[in-house]
Amino acid sequence: MRPSDAYVVGKREYLVRIKGWGFWFATFGLPLFMAALMAVPALLMTRGHSAQRLALVDTTGELAGPLRERLASAEREGAQVVAFDLRVLPPEPDAAAQRARLDRMVLADEIDAWIWLDEEDLGRGRFEYHSESVSSWLTQEVLQGVVSEVVGAWRLRRAGFDTAQIADLTRGVDLETVKVSEGGSRAEGGFGGVVLAIFLFTILYAVLILYGTQVMQGVLEEKTSRIVEVVTSAVRPLELMLGKLVGICCVGLTQLAIWIAAATLLTAPGVLALRTMLPEGLNVPSFTPGLVLHFLALFLIGFFLFATFYAMVGAATNNMQEAQQLASFAIVFLVAPMFFFMQVINDPDGRLAVVTSMIPFFMPLVMMLRIAVKTPPMWQLAVAYTLAIATTCGMIWLCARVYRVGILMYGKRPTLAELWRWVRYA
Amino acid sequence: MTLTLELRDVRKTYGDVAAVRGVTMEVPAATIFGLLGPNGAGKTTTIRMIMDIIAPDSGEVLVFGHPRTREDLRRIGYLPEERGLYRKMTVVDQLVYLGELRGMKRRESLPRIAEWLERVELSAWGKKKIEELSKGMQQKVQLVGTVLHEPDLLILDEPFAGLDPINQSLFRDLLLDYRRRGKTVVLSTHGMLLAEKLCDHICLISAGAVVLAGELRAIRRRLGGNAYRLRAKGDLDRLAEVPGIERVAAEDGLVKLLLAPDADGGRVLRELVEFLDVEEFRSEEPDLEEIFIKAVSGAAV
Repeated sequence: MRPSDAYVVGKREYLVRIKGWGFWFATFGLPLFMAALMAVPALLMTRGHSAQRLALVDTTGELAGPLRERLASAEREGAQVVAFDLRVLPPEPDAAAQRARLDRMVLADEIDAWIWLDEEDLGRGRFEYHSESVSSWLTQEVLQGVVSEVVGAWRLRRAGFDTAQIADLTRGVDLETVKVSEGGSRAEGGFGGVVLAIFLFTILYAVLILYGTQVMQGVLEEKTSRIVEVVTSAVRPLELMLGKLVGICCVGLTQLAIWIAAATLLTAPGVLALRTMLPEGLNVPSFTPGLVLHFLALFLIGFFLFATFYAMVGAATNNMQEAQQLASFAIVFLVAPMFFFMQVINDPDGRLAVVTSMIPFFMPLVMMLRIAVKTPPMWQLAVAYTLAIATTCGMIWLCARVYRVGILMYGKRPTLAELWRWVRYA
Repeated sequence: MTLTLELRDVRKTYGDVAAVRGVTMEVPAATIFGLLGPNGAGKTTTIRMIMDIIAPDSGEVLVFGHPRTREDLRRIGYLPEERGLYRKMTVVDQLVYLGELRGMKRRESLPRIAEWLERVELSAWGKKKIEELSKGMQQKVQLVGTVLHEPDLLILDEPFAGLDPINQSLFRDLLLDYRRRGKTVVLSTHGMLLAEKLCDHICLISAGAVVLAGELRAIRRRLGGNAYRLRAKGDLDRLAEVPGIERVAAEDGLVKLLLAPDADGGRVLRELVEFLDVEEFRSEEPDLEEIFIKAVSGAAV
């Protein structure tokens, strides 16, 4: 093993990628893409402030007024996601005819929806909502909340309470989340923590796949272009492999450094541009140095865990199609946490979270989630890191053995038995 | 005689297939040495073992007079049979990298790269990516990459395979130039015509074992058998009666005579002039092609 040779290899891998447009495209494109993914729906929602044209028929004669008031006050506070343009229609003697006409108005797009409030229905605890689209759950939920509130107050008034009393009795409470951590409790928007966790999780997932695939392509390129034989006549396969892994890892670290620097800058106090974009009540989660260190450590572990696998796949196959088929084994481990990340965020110390974070191939992604929402117990961190690092070392060893033989083997794809023989070659 | 490269009973087995079964060969300094043999004879495996790309099961490889070390590999220029380049790198970057792999600093290699590109007429292409080059140009870049670090020993595996005539002569001139400067060239090939023109020494392997080795001229003399070529007028039918002549074969105006192993050419000639008008009588050396086929097909040599 001659480190200087691995360095020469690594330097090439690094420079070739940093000089390529792909790196800069991913560096700037990925955050923009993610931001767009989060921001565009939010923007569309706020822009789509085109109020719902809602017709109301109130047969009780006592609800229309309070309901209009309640909707107006909600809009003034800006708390409502959905706005309503309320049109109160007097009840007609022929209810069936009126209902039919209202339906026609919906179809003719004169109104978006209509509701019918009458005493009998409300007594049974329900009211009717008619619309062309009955799947607009957000609208319905808001409407149901507002109507419930108004009807509740109406019932209390009828039971003899006065308005001031009602307001006092029905005042809601807000949940204020405080994250408790070793370094003392810090107030943090619960939702902000979740956003941070998902953000870091997604970034880690993306870079692990991105750079794992690059390792695989790099190995395959050398193998299919046959340059590998010239290179291995000058450097040992182990040096070539390590140089390649470390070089590409440094490309990943460079990218993460750029992102972390940008994120730190943008979330620094005083950066109003970002603050004003965020919904009210959402605290900007802070990048503590500890969190950044964990993130980098998890990237390193995840990278070597998966990149060695990708390198083996590249060495054992002859072309991209073959390689991609085999690489899907790695993808399984990377995608699986997508299916349970919500549970992990919700219960970061639950059995699912603890067990999966102890399994080395899940550890980087799951641990990232856990650390972002709540610092796990020290012993769990120690066990998870130790297991993952040990497995990573094992993977590097295994990869070195398969790689050494595989890069000079052309022809048919090896069977598992043949791969095992490669590993056992002295 | 100084040996640049020496193999001592080198063996390599893959599974149950013995690829190389005890190859011993000696490559004298300042020669062009041909490692010959049919496809699948074990030439590439032998070369890979010389280059330490694969390890022999047993046997020894000595270069420059001592067991091979990693430092020695930097004094060797190696062009494998299956050769390629990084498609996305520029010509100069690529060559700088190949130099670095052999311990050359960028600033040392840049002037040499410029010089070499000039020599192979690729100066204008230095900043281009490999994928933009024609196949012939890529071959030139590969050649420059092989000799850039001024190796003392060149090992070329089938160097002429797939070369256009211009590159063939370029490669050939380079090899001759190398020998003139006292360096050693080992080339493997199954192209006998080229080997015949270039090589001083050969080692013929077949099915993983050496069947014939030594100085080409000596081998030819030895294997020529006792064959002579005769151009003469007269009663050619009497040739078969001359003592010492074993076989007569006439081919368009020429007669090939195969003498008994102990017969002397001079004495036979004196017999012939008795009854023939001899215009030409000369000892005939077999060409390499014949030797090759004879040796490989199992004839005793």
